[in-house]
Amino acid sequence: MKQYINVDSLTDIVSNSVGILIILAVVSLIHDNSKTYQLEIPIEHQSELSPVFIIAKDDKLIVLDTDKIFSNAAMQATDGAAGGKRIFPLNYGQLFAQIDDRQGIVFHAQDIAGSKDWHHFTTLQKNNSALRQQLNQIDPKKQFAYFFVYDEVGEGDISGSGFESFRIAREYLKSKHIKSGWKPVDSDHPASICDMSFNALCKYLPSYLGSS
Amino acid sequence: MATKARRYARYLPEKKLEISLFPFLSIFLSVMGVLSFINILSSIHTPQKIEMSTQLEQGYKVAFQIFSLPEGIIIVPPIARLEDLQQVIDDANVRDEIASIIVQRKQFIADIKAYKGLIDDFAIEPDIDKISELLKEIRFINEEALKHNFLYEEFILFGIYPDGGKAYHKVRDVMARSQDASSISVGLEPLDANWTLNINGTPVIETQQQERQ
Repeated sequence: MKQYINVDSLTDIVSNSVGILIILAVVSLIHDNSKTYQLEIPIEHQSELSPVFIIAKDDKLIVLDTDKIFSNAAMQATDGAAGGKRIFPLNYGQLFAQIDDRQGIVFHAQDIAGSKDWHHFTTLQKNNSALRQQLNQIDPKKQFAYFFVYDEVGEGDISGSGFESFRIAREYLKSKHIKSGWKPVDSDHPASICDMSFNALCKYLPSYLGSS
Repeated sequence: MATKARRYARYLPEKKLEISLFPFLSIFLSVMGVLSFINILSSIHTPQKIEMSTQLEQGYKVAFQIFSLPEGIIIVPPIARLEDLQQVIDDANVRDEIASIIVQRKQFIADIKAYKGLIDDFAIEPDIDKISELLKEIRFINEEALKHNFLYEEFILFGIYPDGGKAYHKVRDVMARSQDASSISVGLEPLDANWTLNINGTPVIETQQQERQ
């Protein structure tokens, strides 16, 4: 007598799985087509608060210690390395800098991997992380955070390299009642700190909602 | 009784306990399949529709939206409350001028809705003269609203897509040099590439943007 393999159970399993997947796909499609997310966009406001500059790139953030940066840049300028718009190492967060008449001090962030001054945005979740401590030092009554956010996108990515870290940091700062502003930067339009008396674009404003 | 039952039990044929694994396997594989499906769905980042809004200060600030893409900008001007503003203006010349702006803007929105190609193709390189003209227009509208005590103020709302910074900087360069822009408020927000636009509820842009994904 021939023995046949019974495939009923296999068919049952396969048809169960396929059926559930089809239902899920239909539900997910209907759900996605009807859902619209509303983004509340803060508006730039004139302010007496002074900016604390932060660069967001490759999901990492660096809080710029302006005293240290300016003193390092001044040393380079004294040595003649900063003349003629030459790009020189800043000895800070693997950043390179450039002195420009119109843009002030320009920051070039190229290879930041391995730098201890750059912190991944996920470290904001940790209580004692260096990034959290640096952001906590911002005094909401006197200061606000200003982000230079890299919008360059890697292959296969859907977001600018600094977008996610900026959003997370902004949310964290909002919970601490610290205002923040930002502008997109890239290799052609790098981050720069300058005085408004030199250039009208040297304006760093906090953005917030009318009710804030 | 108890000894009789024990004696009887001794002669019962031994039966192996057979457990069918089929229901367990069926549930297990079904759950596995569903979880992998959900995982795949979330990993491919299904497009999300977004609509930019802002907390309107006492309800009178209206967004003049500029979406900044790698290929250029897409301008989405507001229309709705502009018609109300036109009603309260007594000067016929000004009223005509606003009427012409409304017609132009309606035509612009209609063009966006009617456009059948990819949304990227609709983006235009920011042109200095065009931007200056728009800034002048916004200033004119805001000043007329203020003159007539009508609670209406247009502000520029930038939605910046990845690699859209170049077009944004061009517009801001023009704004920095323009006197007209000094009184215009600005808002800006980073947008992900899979966030599709919902322009006044038009489905055309959304479909095209999804195709691009």
